[in-house]
Amino acid sequence: MEDQAKLLVALQDLDLLIKEARDSDTSTELKEMGFKLDGVAKLQEARDKLAKRIDPQLLNRYERVARSYDRAIVPVTDNFCLGCFVTLPTSYQSLQNKNQILTCESCGRILYFP
Amino acid sequence: MKTEELREYFQESLCIFNLQARDKKSALEEMVDRISRECRLKDRDIILEMLLNRESLGSTAIGKGVAFPHGRTLAIQELTVLFARSADGVNFDSLDKKPTHLFFLIIAPPQDKENLYLQVLGCVVELIKNASKRRKLMEVTSFPELQAIFDS
Ligand SMILES: [Zn+2]
Repeated sequence: MEDQAKLLVALQDLDLLIKEARDSDTSTELKEMGFKLDGVAKLQEARDKLAKRIDPQLLNRYERVARSYDRAIVPVTDNFCLGCFVTLPTSYQSLQNKNQILTCESCGRILYFP
Repeated sequence: MKTEELREYFQESLCIFNLQARDKKSALEEMVDRISRECRLKDRDIILEMLLNRESLGSTAIGKGVAFPHGRTLAIQELTVLFARSADGVNFDSLDKKPTHLFFLIIAPPQDKENLYLQVLGCVVELIKNASKRRKLMEVTSFPELQAIFDS
């Protein structure tokens, strides 16, 4: 099985890329620099393809959290959830090593361990 | 942002003065491998995927032999800039169809709130418009030489 945690992070990166390409401030700035941004439809296709590789339950969880927050997945640094800055149980580090996808109990965001 | 300020975003270990790759995918791989190694990142593939997706939005090789692969990814913790130079040139799907010799790769975490990465990107794009600096960059073979170009 593919590494679901990685696929999920790639999905969020892609969602952010699509969002920025559609955001008028960012896209105007990039176009003024000389960049062409005409492949949004291609990105949407890549997004659909990637989503199909993710376990439906996990994808659901991601979509649900993404409705409440700007970003559904946040990094963990020094045992802090960078979404809400709460300290996470130390057991999380070893759980994620076992490929578990963990959620911050305080804010509900999905955690990424860099 | 002024070009002199660019200095602080570049580091010697993230400069490749003789990029080996000749096509887009392997060039991105070579650059991302360097970053993963130097910054001890575990998810090289995620970064590569993001950069390839960014290229399918529109080539970042916007002409004059220069490309600016860029984007945001959760797989990186801070704004990271890599410089690469290819003497032979890379087929990077450039807008003017010419080979690409200079690369400024800029990646940032999603949580980069002040859009610092766009500022750095804009500043490098501006610098590159200067033909004499571009010519000097094409010849650059060491980190001090690179920094001198930002200062002059
Ligand atoms: Zn949290």
